[in-house]
Amino acid sequence: MGENERMDDAGFTHEILKALPAVTIPAALEARILGDFDRLGMRPGKLAGMLARIGERLWPGVPVWQPASVLAVSLVMGLTAGAFLPSPGSVTPASDLVVVAALDNTLDIDLDRDQ
Amino acid sequence: MVIDPDTDLVARAGHGDRAAAQALMARHLPTMLALARRMLAGQAEAEDCVQEAFLKVWTHAARWKPGKAKFETWLYRVTLNQCYDRLRKKPAEPLEAAANVPDGADGPDRGLETAALEAQVSAALAELPERQRAAILLCHYQERGNIEAAEILGISVEALESLLARGRRTLRMKLSHLRDGAM
Repeated sequence: MGENERMDDAGFTHEILKALPAVTIPAALEARILGDFDRLGMRPGKLAGMLARIGERLWPGVPVWQPASVLAVSLVMGLTAGAFLPSPGSVTPASDLVVVAALDNTLDIDLDRDQ
Repeated sequence: MVIDPDTDLVARAGHGDRAAAQALMARHLPTMLALARRMLAGQAEAEDCVQEAFLKVWTHAARWKPGKAKFETWLYRVTLNQCYDRLRKKPAEPLEAAANVPDGADGPDRGLETAALEAQVSAALAELPERQRAAILLCHYQERGNIEAAEILGISVEALESLLARGRRTLRMKLSHLRDGAM
């Protein structure tokens, strides 16, 4: 490709892109962006702001209440399960007794009984 | 040491100064949105992309360390990365621009001409590989210098010039019929 041709390509590209209409900025977009700034509570040292920034890193783009709700529901479910469900390793004393009693019995087999 | 006109605003925004955040947004939003709009197929997607880029600004502003790179360079790199992510998630819809007919302030014929031109240029841009498209837009649409554009793209100036040469060639081949027409 010659230098003249390169220059023509550059001139053409420049001209055609400059002819494009300007992109308009909706006021709603500015409000959304500033809304994010307010939501993140950009005040260092404030607990809410810090939590909001941590929430933003863990779960970007959602309001803080969503990850907080999921965390709270998970906590409640975990506590409920811990309080009411028996742990899988536990053995009831009654089942222990049955096993011990069975082992304590002597085998009483009379081999002549069937004859 | 890089002289960065945004340093003060970024630091103030990082300390919760809403007016600084607003000023930062006013300074960069128009060019960021224009870049995203030309990189992506639709206005809504471009707006989401720019909003996410600013979200990154707000989350990082307090920890921004001036001196390494210009804030603007980082900001446009973030914006382009958001665009790339969206382009990879969803195939381009180059003809959406045709639906965005201007309001006819220059007269109905002029408005239709502009809309047709925009649709054709958008379609041609959408067919370029994403790095070529970004290079073309940074240098020809936003009129940035090659060094700055190369920094934003994270490539050498030689690599940028190669992208530009290929992109310009393709655009000219696809749009040469517009030379004596709409422009």
